[in-house]
Amino acid sequence: MFKNHKSYGKAALLLSLMPLAGTLFAQAPTEDAEGSAPGLFYTDTTFVILILLSILFLVIAYFLYRVKSHLDKIIEEKAGEEHVPGYYHRTFKPWLRTLNPTVASLAIGTLLGLTAFVKAYKFGMHKVGVQQSYSPTQPINYSHKLHAGKLQIDCKYCHATVEKSKQASIPSANTCMNCHKYVTLRDRYDGEVSPEIAKIYKAIGWDSENNAYIPGYKQKPIEWVRIHNLPDLAYFNHSQHVKVGKLECQTCHGPIEEMDKVYQYSSLQMNWCINCHKEKGIDVANNKYYEDLHKRLKMEGKTVYTVADNGGLECGKCHY
Amino acid sequence: MDLNNKYWKGIEEAEKHPEFVSSKKNEFAEALPLEEVLNATDLDLSSNRRDFLKYFGFSVSAVALAACQKTQVKYAIPYVVNPENVTPGNANYYASTCGGCNTGCGILVKTREGRPIKLDGNELSPISKGALCATGQASILSLYDINRLANPVKNGNENENWGELDKEIIAKLEGIVASGGKITIVTGSSKSPSLAKALEVFKAKYAGTEVVAYDPISYSGILLANEKSFGKRALPSYNFDKADVIVSFGADFLGTWISPVEYTKQWVTKRNPKDGKLSKHYQFESILSLTGSNADVRVPMKESKEGIYLISLYNEIARQMNGSQIPVAQKAELAGNSIEKAAKDLVAASGRSLVVSKSNVTEHQILVNAINLMLGNYGAVIDMNNHSNQSNFIESDFEQFVSNLSSGSVKGVIFMGTNPVYSYHNSSKLVEGLKKASLVVTTSEQKDETSEVAGYICPDSHFLESWGDSEPKKGLISFTQPTISKVFNTRQAIESILIWAGLSAAEADAYTFIKSSYEDIDVWNKSVHDGVIVSATEESATPSFSANVNEAAEKIVSGSSKSDSSELIVYQKVGVKDGNLANNPWLHETPDPISKVCYDNYLSVSKSEAEKNDLKQNDVVNISLGNKKIENIPVLIQPGQATGTYAIALGYGRTQSGKVGKNLGKNAYPLLMVKDGNTLYNYQGSITVEKTGEKYVLAQTQTHHTIEGRDYIREATLEEFKKNPYVRNDHKIDLVTLWQEYDYTTGHKWGMAIDLNACTGCGACIVSCHIENNVPVVGRDEIRLRREMHWMRIDRYYSFYTPEQYLTKEKEIESSESTVYDNIRVVHAPMMCQHCEHAPCETVCPVLATTHSTEGLNQMTYNRCIGTKYCGNNCPYKVRRFNWFRYNDNDNFDNHFNNDLGKMVINPDVTVRTRGVMEKCSFCVQRIQAGKLSAKREGRKVKDGDIKTACATACPSNAIVFGDMNDPESEISKLYKNERSYHMLEEVGIKPSVSYLTKIRNV
Repeated sequence: MFKNHKSYGKAALLLSLMPLAGTLFAQAPTEDAEGSAPGLFYTDTTFVILILLSILFLVIAYFLYRVKSHLDKIIEEKAGEEHVPGYYHRTFKPWLRTLNPTVASLAIGTLLGLTAFVKAYKFGMHKVGVQQSYSPTQPINYSHKLHAGKLQIDCKYCHATVEKSKQASIPSANTCMNCHKYVTLRDRYDGEVSPEIAKIYKAIGWDSENNAYIPGYKQKPIEWVRIHNLPDLAYFNHSQHVKVGKLECQTCHGPIEEMDKVYQYSSLQMNWCINCHKEKGIDVANNKYYEDLHKRLKMEGKTVYTVADNGGLECGKCHY
Repeated sequence: MDLNNKYWKGIEEAEKHPEFVSSKKNEFAEALPLEEVLNATDLDLSSNRRDFLKYFGFSVSAVALAACQKTQVKYAIPYVVNPENVTPGNANYYASTCGGCNTGCGILVKTREGRPIKLDGNELSPISKGALCATGQASILSLYDINRLANPVKNGNENENWGELDKEIIAKLEGIVASGGKITIVTGSSKSPSLAKALEVFKAKYAGTEVVAYDPISYSGILLANEKSFGKRALPSYNFDKADVIVSFGADFLGTWISPVEYTKQWVTKRNPKDGKLSKHYQFESILSLTGSNADVRVPMKESKEGIYLISLYNEIARQMNGSQIPVAQKAELAGNSIEKAAKDLVAASGRSLVVSKSNVTEHQILVNAINLMLGNYGAVIDMNNHSNQSNFIESDFEQFVSNLSSGSVKGVIFMGTNPVYSYHNSSKLVEGLKKASLVVTTSEQKDETSEVAGYICPDSHFLESWGDSEPKKGLISFTQPTISKVFNTRQAIESILIWAGLSAAEADAYTFIKSSYEDIDVWNKSVHDGVIVSATEESATPSFSANVNEAAEKIVSGSSKSDSSELIVYQKVGVKDGNLANNPWLHETPDPISKVCYDNYLSVSKSEAEKNDLKQNDVVNISLGNKKIENIPVLIQPGQATGTYAIALGYGRTQSGKVGKNLGKNAYPLLMVKDGNTLYNYQGSITVEKTGEKYVLAQTQTHHTIEGRDYIREATLEEFKKNPYVRNDHKIDLVTLWQEYDYTTGHKWGMAIDLNACTGCGACIVSCHIENNVPVVGRDEIRLRREMHWMRIDRYYSFYTPEQYLTKEKEIESSESTVYDNIRVVHAPMMCQHCEHAPCETVCPVLATTHSTEGLNQMTYNRCIGTKYCGNNCPYKVRRFNWFRYNDNDNFDNHFNNDLGKMVINPDVTVRTRGVMEKCSFCVQRIQAGKLSAKREGRKVKDGDIKTACATACPSNAIVFGDMNDPESEISKLYKNERSYHMLEEVGIKPSVSYLTKIRNV
């Protein structure tokens, strides 16, 4: 592949630079990676490892180059050949000398600085506080794939307040008991109650042997780990989006009916909110609240009226 | 009255004191002591390049390290069993009764996930009619007071076990009865049917038990006078809404007297000049009270002379009505023949007028009764048949109890919800007497002066944790229901009484016990739901009068002192009232409606009196009255106070209270004197005031946020208004604007109207806003630096009383005679963000943190704000507030925001702001958004009245109206078209969204 031995040095240099290039051009898991959240290749740790690898390879390449040029020199001296300086000594070094050291170092500094800034900016804007794909272990190994997907239980059966309140609410244990009084999966656990279902019984105080609540039991709530965390300064109301805006749960929460373990599907960043507000139209025709607006829009011949048109981009609609 | 009339907020502004003029120009009240602070710690402010790089490098790495925190794992913990009717995220409302004072206002308690966060008035209650005063609003914080007792206490040691204590107490009570000793239960005087029943159960077990009523504030003068006059020892029901002429002798019925919210609601119905009619309100008083500041005619008077003036008024009315006069030699008249004029107006409106007096002298009240009777006011305006139970405190009963204690015949005392060791005038005698008793029990919610001398403290639950019923008026039962499960190991006082009476815990349960009085379950359910039962009222009639007026008058004349010496008035402040809620930082943070002083009480003197005694504002003095003395009290010079009078407020100087109330101000209760069995709230005798040479700066907000003498207030007389409804308001300014106009044609356009004629300045709105919007408490020192955080304030403007003394822009004050300050006029103007269409704050914000919405709101986005304060400086109304510190979780601001319990009162729908950001009134945007959302959810339009700001909800005088100006049927859009409607600083062209209605005086 390589015409002469001198080319090996260049190849080593190129190879060593590849991981660095990888870190610079690697993308955060944006559009194409979306959805495949668990098991992403690219993480912060990979970035650091790649940088360290590049440095290591560069150092090795440098030493190899030095060794090789010494060996070349010795071979040539032994052979009595006149030492022909390499490309570096012949062309690059004299060219370097012609450069103004201040300007050169400034240029290099700027280049490195810019790279670092771009990197930091991207990191700051898209990583800090963003928990996309966050998928913590929950106290009960509950599967939405089973309940919402296979069994086709309506989301609103458990998240019952989603149409009337700010919160969709994690169901209280008594909601679970509506079914799990009867569904114990004893057939799969050698006559014992499934350990996961037993956790509900433990919380609420259900005696599964006698099929009765234990009187005077000190109930203990189930401490679910919160996955979707909006900062306190942003106000979000589920009923606004589900009841009034008629959005599907999946629009924001992703294919929840396929998740065994729930993860945060959307980034929940402000630009994500804003983009949707810019695109989503309001159904003014079917809500009396918008009666006047609907009349005006008909007169003006407008068919699309987005949330943004209705003031949905104003700060004070969510921040107060 | 001239449009040129100039208003001023304090004497320093009227007289242009050099310090005031120079400080007005500065951005900050005091230069920021930066150099001082840094020099004090030997830091050099100058730095070189190396230092700069060092600090730079350090900061960058510090930030980088600080950012390396792991994101906190948060939990979402649902209920185990979701309670019925609780939707997480939505508020529930429960009807109950306010426990802030004895008045018995019906309230609605707003709860979120089982914790009360706001109190509002209950519209079904005939007393509060949907409004609530500042004290009532603030009383919710006492529920989350970290200083409450968590367990019962025996001899100073907490003991978790109620059963043990009960056993000991019962044994002692039985022992007392067996040895022939007496047991006395001291309760508040307000009437509760269930408590009365429980006390009967107790009496049945312990024979000879006496129940004595005790209130810190006494109305026994009225009670005894009514007994003598009509044979009925009760307070009447007053109907201020039926009175065309009101004459009040010192009664602060809009602020503190008997039932202020009820009276304000009534009074304001006659204060709308729409049809050219306005009630006429005379106020004769010594201190400038809230009611006096709203009167049409206010006449300063020495309270010690009140009896003589009452006789003169009686005789003048009798003369005009050709009745028989009282044969006394003395006749007195006040400035401007005001008694004669008042008499004339009263006679002209006989049957539709009302005379009230604050005096606690029985004879004075007999005369007041006689005057009202002569005018035919009983029946329509004063209702003796449907009497009030808001006070039944007879002082002689309590005096008898104290002497029984001293004589040793009373061996067992139970104090229920009363704290007489603090508020009884002869507290040392009471304490000595209590030492002779073998059992002293109190049910104080937190440690107080009485609990200090009690062997057992059996903490009562807060009224928001309790069941209860009360009968504030005949035929009106008002219910109390718990809205939170008990925060601490407390027990309702009624349950304690029943358990000590031998009932089992199940029988003594307050719910079971109270419910047993209401047999019909449907009636009970409806009552608890509505909060009140109003049974059919009796026909009001004129009672027969049996008192001897001449005898009363003779007694007044013979008892009145001829000397013209100074006197001391002891009064209640609008927020703190009797001092029961002294540990409530919201009440102390709210400025007094008149003096605008926060925290502390003070010796209030008139300007001329101060000059006579060489007293200056903030001088610390010792005042002694005979053998009684108050030391180290600061002086406040109060315009409008009658010459020759001093005044000190009650409710301060608690020696045992929580972290806020303890040792705050001076206790004035020991200064009270009893004469003929009634407490006198004025002291006449030798008063000496000596300066200590010290200064104590009162935290007074009166000149904070001063608006450079611009025209804010428009007022006119009723005569002028009748001639021209647009008086002072007829030259509208044509605006040419360079700004882009907003299009509000569809959707909403929010607006507010404030009726200056209705606003009494009571401050209920300030506290309501404080609670709703999580406004921090900043404390006395910060207020001194003008850093109060209230989103709304009530600007109180003074102007001189007679036209010759008017201060105009051309004619600054000419005479330096201090007598011009003896009487003044007052205007109260609530001020909050005006939500200008062309808001000056919006254009100067470098980061677009304050922006305009399509609904006309001026939005403040805290997370964008970087704290340049440009907006605050550019606001002509001075309504923006800067967070100088992080007030939550900060032990330098040791109020309720630094502990978990106190933080339970936080409204979860409003961001808690952090240091370095600006904030201001948002027009309660959280309520607007919630109101719109429920309309959208239900597929209907927003109805007028659906959305109300916190201030508008609280206002007892309906002075604040909020609504959608795009709705032609809304109250607000009608008010905008009112002839009296104007915008403050219209000429600046910023188009505010708040409209004010001209003040009309019936002079």
